Amino acid sequence: MSRRTWEAIALGAVLPVVLLGLWELASARDWISVLFYPRPSVVLERTWDRRDLLFDDTLVTSRRLLWGFVFGAIPGTIAGLAAGLSRIIRGLLYPIATALYVVPRIAMLPLVLVAFSINDSARIFMVAFSVFFISFFSTLTGVEGVERTHIETARAFGAGKIRLALTVLLPGASPAIFSGMRVAMGFALIVIIGTEFLASNDGLGARIWTSYQIFDFPSMYAGIVAVTVLGVVLAGLILVVERIALPWRRTDR
Amino acid sequence: MGRRSRSGWGGGTRRGARLVPAESSLAIEDLSVRYPGGVLALEHCSLDVAPGEFRALLGPSGCGKSTLLKALTGLVPAPREAYTLPGDGTYAYVPQGNSCFPWLRAEENVAYGMKLRGVARADRQQRARALLDDLGLASFARSFPAQLSEGMRQRVAIARAFAVDAPLLLMDEPLSALDFQTKVAVQGELSRLWERRRCTILYVTHDIDEALTLADRVSVLSARPGRVLETIEVPFPRPRSYSDIRDHAGYAAAFRHLYTLLDSQP
Repeated sequence: MSRRTWEAIALGAVLPVVLLGLWELASARDWISVLFYPRPSVVLERTWDRRDLLFDDTLVTSRRLLWGFVFGAIPGTIAGLAAGLSRIIRGLLYPIATALYVVPRIAMLPLVLVAFSINDSARIFMVAFSVFFISFFSTLTGVEGVERTHIETARAFGAGKIRLALTVLLPGASPAIFSGMRVAMGFALIVIIGTEFLASNDGLGARIWTSYQIFDFPSMYAGIVAVTVLGVVLAGLILVVERIALPWRRTDR
Repeated sequence: MGRRSRSGWGGGTRRGARLVPAESSLAIEDLSVRYPGGVLALEHCSLDVAPGEFRALLGPSGCGKSTLLKALTGLVPAPREAYTLPGDGTYAYVPQGNSCFPWLRAEENVAYGMKLRGVARADRQQRARALLDDLGLASFARSFPAQLSEGMRQRVAIARAFAVDAPLLLMDEPLSALDFQTKVAVQGELSRLWERRRCTILYVTHDIDEALTLADRVSVLSARPGRVLETIEVPFPRPRSYSDIRDHAGYAAAFRHLYTLLDSQP
């Protein structure tokens, strides 16, 4: 790594280290309630102690996120492609998608619980529902941004609608699709944790919520640490997949 | 119609390419194209291009040269009875601007049209490589367009058009964005490719010298709405180059004639 990279890392670490230090100090000196704000070192220790439990919960939450992504991003991308390809499909989908997009996802939870009853399909649906619209809009935007010359080239070589969609619109929109996925991952984490708070006995959200309810604050923080790590790992995973899937995007001569 | 003698047929490496001679001509008769906005782009435009001919289309900017090509490809709606395409009716197209797909490697770009037309993978790759080799891009077959220079990208677009071996090639100012030296180099490569295959080419340009270097005949279009003002024969022997056409006795007169025609248009 270059000197600049190290500098960037060092600079970025200054505030977190100072803040954690202040927190540690404030907690140690009883400036703040040790019950509600246990020292970071205690939180870390608790995270380590509960690592097996947290790992299981992380797996549970990850599985829900993954299936939610599969059931949200794939139909969302297909719908976005179709809307980009056909004015009729666009006319059908765009207004309702715009309307549903502004509804806070978590507000749909009671309805979803009624429809699915409290089980994993309800939780997966919550994630899929949030991811779908982001995928739909990012794909549609990406398709609309595909250069006219590329579309005309494909058509002049005889590409029909399906071929055009698969060989030009999808790859042309793929950078937008991936940036949509990164946004969607953030939304999906919020939604799955919120859903697990309210309607789950397992998963990181449920772990955080029950720890809070029994006043086991170190465990609550341990859950937050695990969620954070999960979020970072998933964001990194999307970046890795993007780099592999779109080799033409990282072509520094 | 009988087979015309083609000096380039047997010569050079054929590299297993299927040669589709264009036995019937490209005929455009009384073609008028009006855009949905109401603008009349072409009016009573007629053009007859012999099989295997390289025809250049010159015209003032905005005269409908590109529209004419797009009408033939179906990208712009045009009455089907107003034109007949040579050979089996297939064509290849090099649009204006950068048309390489950025997500495909050079050889995949070249193979794109062949893939749509169902050419087997091995054949596609072999032919794409051969064409890239002809255009001096053999070592860039696995590169993405972003890694290529503008001139290399245009070579790839040209190779993609030649790769499908269509009897008709429609080219819309493929070299207009290139610097002078690159342009002259690609002109030479394009001439050699065409001399080997002798497909019919309709080549839009605004560069008189380029038209005189490449074409058998040059048609000049009027200002919008475009129609053909005049078609002249280019008398220079082949092989030609951008520089040695100037040595030919007829060059100055031909240039002046075309220049005056273009200049007469508002």
